[in-house]
Amino acid sequence: MDHEALALEMRGLREQVPGITDTAVAAADGLLIAADTADSIDPESLAALAAAGLGLARRTADATARGVLRQTVTYGSHGCAAFYAVGDTALMVVLGDEGMDVDRLHRATQPALRRIDSILTEKAPEGV
Amino acid sequence: MGDFGESLGRVGYAELGPVLSACGREGFTGRLLVSGTPGGVFHLRDGLVVAAESPGAPGAVALLLRSGRLTGEQWAELVREAGGAPWPAAALTAHGHAGAAQLRVICVMALHDAAFAVAAGPVEDCERAPAGEPLAPVPVGEPPTRMLQDAARKLTALAALPHPVRPDRERPVPADGPPVPVTGLQRELLGRADGRRTARDLAFLTGRGVYAVTVEVARMLGDGLLCCPGTPAPIPVRVPERVPGVSRRRSAARPAPPPGPITVPDSLPRRTPGASGITEALTPERHGASWKGFFRLRNGSAR
Repeated sequence: MDHEALALEMRGLREQVPGITDTAVAAADGLLIAADTADSIDPESLAALAAAGLGLARRTADATARGVLRQTVTYGSHGCAAFYAVGDTALMVVLGDEGMDVDRLHRATQPALRRIDSILTEKAPEGV
Repeated sequence: MGDFGESLGRVGYAELGPVLSACGREGFTGRLLVSGTPGGVFHLRDGLVVAAESPGAPGAVALLLRSGRLTGEQWAELVREAGGAPWPAAALTAHGHAGAAQLRVICVMALHDAAFAVAAGPVEDCERAPAGEPLAPVPVGEPPTRMLQDAARKLTALAALPHPVRPDRERPVPADGPPVPVTGLQRELLGRADGRRTARDLAFLTGRGVYAVTVEVARMLGDGLLCCPGTPAPIPVRVPERVPGVSRRRSAARPAPPPGPITVPDSLPRRTPGASGITEALTPERHGASWKGFFRLRNGSAR
């Protein structure tokens, strides 16, 4: 895996969308891979929560015939937390303050997710 | 930072001027959608700006909630009481959280701050759209040219400081040095500047206007209270020992071996002692390689 490329993608997203405060990438089961988070955030717990949240949302979408899950967004009075699946192997967490334009985030995230997926799976044939 | 003054003409201010003036001249009613970084929306009524919203500046709600004037729970209750209105002004005054005049001041501040934020960043495009529901409109609209002049005056004032900063670029950290007396705002900013946050981020976090915080950050850089690290802190990347998805994908990518012909043995198989190798596997590892070395050999990666 190209660590530098992954870090660049995460930092690039934060530069691109005003209001992003933290990002993290984890394996689909919630094991943290990389975290660009403030000291006040525990990235390990965040990764585990995101995995559980995405799992729950996926089952909800399935049970209610809402089609394929796109993302989950938790809105609070001080901002929001968005969880995205990265392929079927990993997930990405984006935290933003109340100024973040969530539609803009979703638009900016789609190409980044594709690139992050290819970065994460790049080395798979050689074994990780 | 030295390019601040030179690049002032390239930021949104120059793009916005003619468009907003035209809106004012024509008495436009509707929204002006400004795409850019941070971009934003101007709500106009009869050619006057009644509200401005931008991801680059805290809105009226953020100013109220982040400044600690009232809690998230209280806010949710007020919104419910107002039938879901995004700006429950009547309920706010009825419960004594703020006076009507205070609320008007907050809305006017938020409008000017958003205009500053939009004008301070690059603007890609401006597009007129039908009228929408502004979040916290001001009762008396602002002529667009006057609003933009105010933004330009602020940008010029900022550029004239010894250490000018952009609201969304520099990410300062507290500088090392002997403790000096600081103001309340400076203490707050020192506590929250962590090398990840821009002046815009700090404005949201402290519930203050982005212009006021940007100016304070610039002054603190000038006074040596803050400094800008050359390179951002690296993002640690760890590869979990077993990324479940990755291993799934690997096994899925490898085609299953074709089923061979089923052979039926003439007699039942007999076990040869030690043939499974379990006795060797159960003995303690003599060196670090063991089966892991076997994996490396198979996969051809020595790392």
